[in-house]
Amino acid sequence: MTRAADSLVVCERCDQAYRWIPLEAGAVARCTRCEAVLGRGHRIGIETVLALTVTALVLFFVVLFSHVISIRLGGTTVESTIPGAVMASWDEGDWLVAVATAVTALIAPAMYILLRLYVLVPIAAGRIPFGFGPCVRALHQVSRWNMLEVMTVGGLLSLVRLAALAEAAPGPAMFALGGLTILLAAIEAAGLRHLWWYVP
Amino acid sequence: MTAASTAEGARQGLTPIDGPLLGCESCGMVSRGVPEDRLPEGAVLRCARCHHKLHHEKPFSLQRTWSCVIAAAILYIPANALPVMSTTSAFDTSTHTLLGGIHDLWVDGAWGLAVIVFVASIAVPVLKIAALALLAWSVRRAPDWRRLERARLFRLIEVVGHWSMLDVYVVVLLAACVRFGSLASAHPEPGLLAFAAVVVLTLLAAHSFDPRMIWRDGPKHG
Repeated sequence: MTRAADSLVVCERCDQAYRWIPLEAGAVARCTRCEAVLGRGHRIGIETVLALTVTALVLFFVVLFSHVISIRLGGTTVESTIPGAVMASWDEGDWLVAVATAVTALIAPAMYILLRLYVLVPIAAGRIPFGFGPCVRALHQVSRWNMLEVMTVGGLLSLVRLAALAEAAPGPAMFALGGLTILLAAIEAAGLRHLWWYVP
Repeated sequence: MTAASTAEGARQGLTPIDGPLLGCESCGMVSRGVPEDRLPEGAVLRCARCHHKLHHEKPFSLQRTWSCVIAAAILYIPANALPVMSTTSAFDTSTHTLLGGIHDLWVDGAWGLAVIVFVASIAVPVLKIAALALLAWSVRRAPDWRRLERARLFRLIEVVGHWSMLDVYVVVLLAACVRFGSLASAHPEPGLLAFAAVVVLTLLAAHSFDPRMIWRDGPKHG
């Protein structure tokens, strides 16, 4: 599905208006004034994005329920999960740190994956989901606060620091984080605007 | 660089047009705008397709940006002066500041990691605070000055902004992992709270800043 050749597009960064042209797959159109990205020619279709999102959901469950790091010291083993780490900092009284971590590394990515599924599954089946507009608007907000890729590097960095102290090993959640970083980047690159082309 | 050349190709085919048009931030549909003075008091323009509010400019963008930037700059002092983490071992308790942690990594020979943490915890927040202050200041005081470079600067701080959360995550994970009672334990300290506040405030400041202000009354295109 392509946008009508004579439709208009406005650069969201500088308000310059353009007459739009269909883009080849892989092409990137940039604003001639401020160089912001106006649109991309997509290589992957909606079914592929849906498949990636389902995979992301599975990996996200691994992140939620398995440990990121396990360390052993003097015969005791401690395994910590990301939700567990958030709870621990809440218990320490660091509520701002706990909330910031929970929002950016758990709630925002969860909402991102679930809202996408809620929107994509009906569209792939040829229907428009209830509350489509508010969902897409919420997706814009949520994608700004998703920082799972930073958590991936944070996990690796913690692992290196712990290795100096005790026997430390990455858990399943660490590998799932790595996979999710790549998947979410691919899903994000697919964008949201083209979803509106399916709306009559 | 095939991506760059295709981008160039797409760029050639796009024709800029003039006129008071509004693009929807959410769905991209373009509507014809109404001049502010012709709009009835209290009326709100909404996108016909997705009902998202349409603005020529984000409301109170400069005020909100300035207040977040100033608060972040003030909190940046305790974030660096106070310890972010304390570690207890069988023998003693020691506290670590942001710079101290980077210094330790450097002394241990982990230069690559020291550079990563330095960029994420020191360089990115300072760059964001300085850049946002410059962008907000230049909207009023130097509107014609290097518009394209200012637009690029804003895109840069949006891309790197997330990475200052790195040290917050590391301390949260370390405190959760190192729990061996009196043998070894790690705890977050007040500096981390200040640092997390700085990170959140700079993110809010970047979200408040409307890059369209850079181009106000500027050259139309090209």
